[in-house]
Amino acid sequence: MPSIRRILAVLSTSALTLTLIGCDNGSSSSSNSGADANEPTLTIASNVVGGKNPQEDQQFAAEIGQALHCKVNFIHIPTDYDQKLQAMLSSGQKLDVIYTTGPNLADMVQNGEVMDLQSKIQQSPVLGNPKVVPQWEWNDIRIPQTNGIYAVPVKYQGALMPIVRQDWMNELGLSQPKTLNDFYHIFQVFKEKKGVYGLTLSQLYDIEPFMSAVGLKNEYVMVNGKRTIPYATSEAVPVYEWLHKLYTDKLLDPNFVTNSTADERNEFLSGRVGMFVYWDAWVPMLNNLASTAGAASTFDAEALPGAVGPDGKVLVSKGDTSVWAIPKNAPHPDLAFKFLEWWNTEAGEVLGSLGVKGVDYTVSGGKYQLTEVGKAENMDHGDPQPISSEWKNPFPALQKGYAKAKSIGVQYGYQPTSLPGWTEAQKIVWQYGEEAVLGKLSAQEAVAEMHATLLQKHLVDE
Amino acid sequence: MASTQTLSPRTSMTATTLRTQRAAKLKHAVPLYLMLLPAIAYFVIMTYYPLAHAVLISMQNFRFIGNRPFVGFQNYVDVLSDSEFWSSFANTSILGAGILVIGFVAPIVIALSLNEVLQSWLKRTIQMVIYIPHLFSWVVVGGLWIYMLTPDGGLVNTVLQVLHLPQVQFMTNPNLARWVLILVTVWKEVGFNCILYLAAIVGINPALYESARVDGATRWHEMWHVTIPMLRRTMKVVGLLSIMGLLRLFQQIYVMRNAVIEPKVDVLMTYVYDKGLQQMNIGQATASALLILLFTLLLTLITRRLVQYNEL
Repeated sequence: MPSIRRILAVLSTSALTLTLIGCDNGSSSSSNSGADANEPTLTIASNVVGGKNPQEDQQFAAEIGQALHCKVNFIHIPTDYDQKLQAMLSSGQKLDVIYTTGPNLADMVQNGEVMDLQSKIQQSPVLGNPKVVPQWEWNDIRIPQTNGIYAVPVKYQGALMPIVRQDWMNELGLSQPKTLNDFYHIFQVFKEKKGVYGLTLSQLYDIEPFMSAVGLKNEYVMVNGKRTIPYATSEAVPVYEWLHKLYTDKLLDPNFVTNSTADERNEFLSGRVGMFVYWDAWVPMLNNLASTAGAASTFDAEALPGAVGPDGKVLVSKGDTSVWAIPKNAPHPDLAFKFLEWWNTEAGEVLGSLGVKGVDYTVSGGKYQLTEVGKAENMDHGDPQPISSEWKNPFPALQKGYAKAKSIGVQYGYQPTSLPGWTEAQKIVWQYGEEAVLGKLSAQEAVAEMHATLLQKHLVDE
Repeated sequence: MASTQTLSPRTSMTATTLRTQRAAKLKHAVPLYLMLLPAIAYFVIMTYYPLAHAVLISMQNFRFIGNRPFVGFQNYVDVLSDSEFWSSFANTSILGAGILVIGFVAPIVIALSLNEVLQSWLKRTIQMVIYIPHLFSWVVVGGLWIYMLTPDGGLVNTVLQVLHLPQVQFMTNPNLARWVLILVTVWKEVGFNCILYLAAIVGINPALYESARVDGATRWHEMWHVTIPMLRRTMKVVGLLSIMGLLRLFQQIYVMRNAVIEPKVDVLMTYVYDKGLQQMNIGQATASALLILLFTLLLTLITRRLVQYNEL
């Protein structure tokens, strides 16, 4: 008897330990269990694409599997994605498709970790069709060092642009600003008449529409083969000075250094600020949120272009591209590419935006109807605005302000050049730039120190 | 020879008995060792194997897929010649020293003060209130303090405004931000250490106080000459644990830092994070993490020697 007790004790201790070791790590892996056992398994690692919970991920995987006639192992990692992806890849886990972003893709290409897809894309009837993925999207994700294309866009990335309370603009008789002085005037009127800050920022994440006034692009710009960062040049001084003036005149939200983008959205929605710089896709979402979250009934968010530059052009920066890539050690590269093609067909676009049929939406007589789940999930399953020009959102009433916002992005948007080292360089640009805005350093001093530090750390070439 | 002949069977008997006893002991111990096995396996799999693997990675030009060329000690050389590593080291030392000193003294002072509170409900309430922050994650605590210290709408600046005092930019002044990080860390953890001291105070033999009183000791004398010396063991444990955690400061910095204060608050662990997970330089990040481990080991050994930890 005592020995049985001992054995049981050993077994229970082992079981407890194994249970503790095997605790959840925040990610979920979903498979379509109904697939044929002989079908290959497509393993996808995803961050923003997928369902909102493990059950929906399973339904999401089933939809993909059904379309591609394969089993799908859908690894959905909503938080700390980059870290977990790195851990999976470095531990030797074989993945067929990985979700990643422009800067990380550049690093992966540099390390020879992902496949060059250029020739396959050119031959593809789906991806090679410029109506499905326009040429400028390919240009945006082309890696300059090798001139190759190593990924396929997940969604229309959109651009960061000023979003303003258009209802206040109309009420106060203000017209669309073109220069930094015009923007200043609007902020001043907002402060005087509405008692709010004119502008809020989240660090210097989103000042491109104002840098547009001096024609400077965000991140890196290659000049004669040398890496330069325009924000760290003397041409940027007037914009830092202007931002400092906004700060001293109390037109800029003083919390901008510690603001998250969620803080910006909340301040805008709650009527504490008149303008912020954010994604075009958020214009309709802000309007929809305002109608359900108790904001003023007149609330109307509209996008604006940035300030007009010396050459008459406007610049707004697009976000880091979200892409699908195929690792070099993918077990099923052909199936993986088939998925990339399917993602850009109507069925893929519907899954990425509306979600799963029968769960997020229903179709009756060709007419789409959002379910309660679908309404709560706001037509965003990783691809809220598909790239294809043939895509038409079946719910135009929920798209207020988007058409104008998108046209600004398409007309004035550019894809910043993400080179390895930008993450480190950005810290330096923001540090000195914010010190200039806060008045801890003059704009000239800040730019001089910014540039010297970048040179010293070999993050720029001149 | 005769004696040898007479002793030999006894020696043989003793050896047999010893063997039997050992076998019996072993038989008795086997289940215990088996029960230890999962724990040993856990440490081997989750700690020692990754550690050994980390040493290997720190000597490679690490890539996620493909070959990983061996680069010897180059990653270590790169880390040790990186000015950012040394500025992070300096920041860690300054923040760590502040947290160590204030975080060491504060719970003792609070525990001694609480010990003087006679109403047990009040004592329990205060204990609970100061312990609660320990239960929150740094994401919550960091976000809360950032919000309370914001220039516009933050509680602290609103109070200053009511008192007609100038607004203070706590989170954009690097020197002030250092103090904020030190004090917020102490605020979060003080309740936990305080409970350790309170438990130790309860365990002090009341006879010692009676003897002190017979000798004419006042409350102050009792505290100074009885309570505090009797807390020495707890102080050593708390001190050693604090020192071991000194170089691992991370979460509060990660949550509360911003571009303006980063040069003054970035610590060794944020250096590792930035190198590895932001810049994807895994080899250099691993080398720096192993250097931090080495520093921690040295610091712990020195502290153990200085505080004579084994002589509790």
